[in-house]
Amino acid sequence: MTCADGGAPRGSSSLEPRVTSCGFLIWQGLGFAMHVVQTTDLTKIYNNRYIALNALDLRVEKGTVFGLVGPNGAGKSTTFRILLGLQKPTAGQVQVLGEPMTAERADIRRRIGYLPTNPSFPKYMTPIQFLEFVGSVIGLTQDRAKVQLARLLQAVDLTNAAAQKIEGFSTGMMTRLGIAAALMNDPELLILDEPTSGLDPAGRKQTIELIRELTGRDRTIIIATHILSDVERVCSDVGIISQGRMIYSGPMADMRRLARQGTISVEIEGNTTAFEQQIHTLDEIGSVRYERVGAEFRLTFLGTHALTEYLMRVLQLIDRTGVELLHINTGADEIEEAFLRRLEEDRTRGFLRAAAWAATQEVGGVKEEIDAGIPGHPSI
Amino acid sequence: MQAFLAILRYDLGLLTRSWITRIWLPLLIAPALFLVAVAANEDELASETLAAYLAAVMIPISGLAVAVLASSAVSGESGIIADGILSRSVTRSEYMAAKVISRLGFTAVIYMVIMIPFAYLIIRYAAPDTSIGGVAVGLLIVCLLLTFLGALGITFSTLFSNVLLDVLGLLLVVLLSGVVLQFLGLTWMSTTAVVTGLPDTFRGQTPVWDLVRIFLVFSSLTAAAIATSFWVFRERDL
Repeated sequence: MTCADGGAPRGSSSLEPRVTSCGFLIWQGLGFAMHVVQTTDLTKIYNNRYIALNALDLRVEKGTVFGLVGPNGAGKSTTFRILLGLQKPTAGQVQVLGEPMTAERADIRRRIGYLPTNPSFPKYMTPIQFLEFVGSVIGLTQDRAKVQLARLLQAVDLTNAAAQKIEGFSTGMMTRLGIAAALMNDPELLILDEPTSGLDPAGRKQTIELIRELTGRDRTIIIATHILSDVERVCSDVGIISQGRMIYSGPMADMRRLARQGTISVEIEGNTTAFEQQIHTLDEIGSVRYERVGAEFRLTFLGTHALTEYLMRVLQLIDRTGVELLHINTGADEIEEAFLRRLEEDRTRGFLRAAAWAATQEVGGVKEEIDAGIPGHPSI
Repeated sequence: MQAFLAILRYDLGLLTRSWITRIWLPLLIAPALFLVAVAANEDELASETLAAYLAAVMIPISGLAVAVLASSAVSGESGIIADGILSRSVTRSEYMAAKVISRLGFTAVIYMVIMIPFAYLIIRYAAPDTSIGGVAVGLLIVCLLLTFLGALGITFSTLFSNVLLDVLGLLLVVLLSGVVLQFLGLTWMSTTAVVTGLPDTFRGQTPVWDLVRIFLVFSSLTAAAIATSFWVFRERDL
C-alpha cells in the first residue's frame, strides 16, 4: 500500500501539519515530508583515491519527474547505484521510499524500477525469457508475469523481436527492453540512467514519449542525463550535479526563470565595433559578460535587476551607438544557459563552496540552506 | 525465496547449456567404458581400477571443468549482475546461495551420475577386492575434494572480475598448496596423498581416524571458502 502525502503545495516552507492518506501526521517544513529519495551528505570515495560523490544532498518528492543533470563523470550513475544498494556509501545517509537502503533491502528494490546506462542482459535469452526471469525474481506468478510482459513488450514496441535472442539487439532495443524490465513490478520509483544514450533521433523521441506516458499515477521518476533538451521535455524538477555535488535543485520553472534572468542575445549590423567598445558601460547596473559570434552578441548580466531593466539598457546602447538591430532574444537555449551558468559559478566559487558546506555542519544538526550563489537560488 | 529459486533455475540452465558441460561428460564417459571393458577382460582388481580412473581421468578433467565453472560463477556475469539481477528484488545472500548451491550441486551430481554406474560395473566385472562401505567412503572423499575446489573457485570469482585470472589463480593455489603442505609437514592433507590412499580406502583398509580427519579438514575448508565468498560479495561494490 502506498500513501499519498496530502497534496500540500510544493516549495512550502512554513511549519504546518498535514495528514497523509494513511492517516499519518507529518510536519511540512521540518524535513519530515515524504521524500521518495533523500540523501544527506552522501559521499563516495573509491579506493581512497577518487571522490565520486562529495556530500551530496538529494531530495526527490513523490510524484515528480526529477532530472539529474550533470557532465560525464559528475556522479549520476554512482548516486543511482547507491540508491539501489548496489554500492555502499563511504559516508552519509540514504533513504529510499522512507527507509534506509542497503544491499540486503530487496523489499525496497521490489518497489523500484531501474534502467541502467547501456544495459546489459543475458545474451542467450529472448526478451520473453528475460522478462519471465525478472518476473520470477520479483515474485510474480507465471500467469501475471506473462500478462505483464506481453503488455510491456507491446508498449516498448518489441513484440516483433520477442522471439529473437538479446545477443543481436541494437542499443535502442536494449534500452527499450530495459525499460520493460524496469516496469515489470509496476514500480513506485523509476530510475532511468541515461535512457536516451546511444539512440538515434527517432529512438530518442520514442523513448521520451514513453517516459512521458509513465508520469503521473503517483509514480516518481528520476532521470539522469546530460542531454538538456530531454530534461526540459519531461521533467518537473531538476538537479544539477557537478563533481559529485548537487549545485542546484529546484523546479524546472525556476531553472527557466534563472536563465531568463540575465541573458540577452542581440544580432546587429553597422558599427559593431563601437557597440562592442561600449558594452562595458552596462556594468553600472551589474557585472556584464559578453560573447561575440559574428554579428551576434550574447550579453550575460550577473546582477539581480529585472530582465526588463537590462533589456532597456541594451536597447539604449543600440540606439546610442547607431547600430541596426536585426534580432533580439531573451530565452534561447535557456536551460543550457542556466546549466552552464550553474557549472561555471560552482567552478569559480572555490573556497566559498567549502565554507558554505562547513556552515551547514555547524548549525547544531539542523540543516539550513546557505545561499552561496545567485540570490534566490540556494545552492545547497 | 522466490528470487533464490529463480536464480537457481537460471544458473542451472546456464550450466546445462555450457560448452564445458558438453565436453566434460563425454570425456568422462568414454574412458570409463573403456576401463570397464579392460577390467572385465584382464581380470583387474576393482579397487585399483577405480582408483586409477579417479586419479587419471575424473580428478584432472573434472578438476579443470569445476575450476572454470566455479571461477566464472560470479565474475562470468559481471556485466549483467548489477543491471539484470541485483538491481531487482534480490539480496546478495540469495544470489550467492543460489550460485553456491547450483555450482557445487551441479558438480556433485555430474560426479555421482558418472561414478555410481561406473563403480557398480567395475565391482561387478573386475576382480572383487572392495567393500561397499569402502567404495562409498572413497567416492565421497573425491566428491568432497571436487566440492572444495569448486568452493575455492567461487571465492576467487567474487574476488576478481576476470574469469581467466580467477581460473589461473585457483590452479596456481592448488599447485602451490602441495609444496606448502609438504613444507609444513602436512602431506596427508594434500590431494596427492588422498588419491594415493584411495585403493586402500576402497578395500576398507584405511583407518577410520584418517577418514574422519580428511572429512573434517576438507569440510571445514569448503565451509570457510563459502563463508568467505558470501562475506566478500556482500562487501563488494557492484
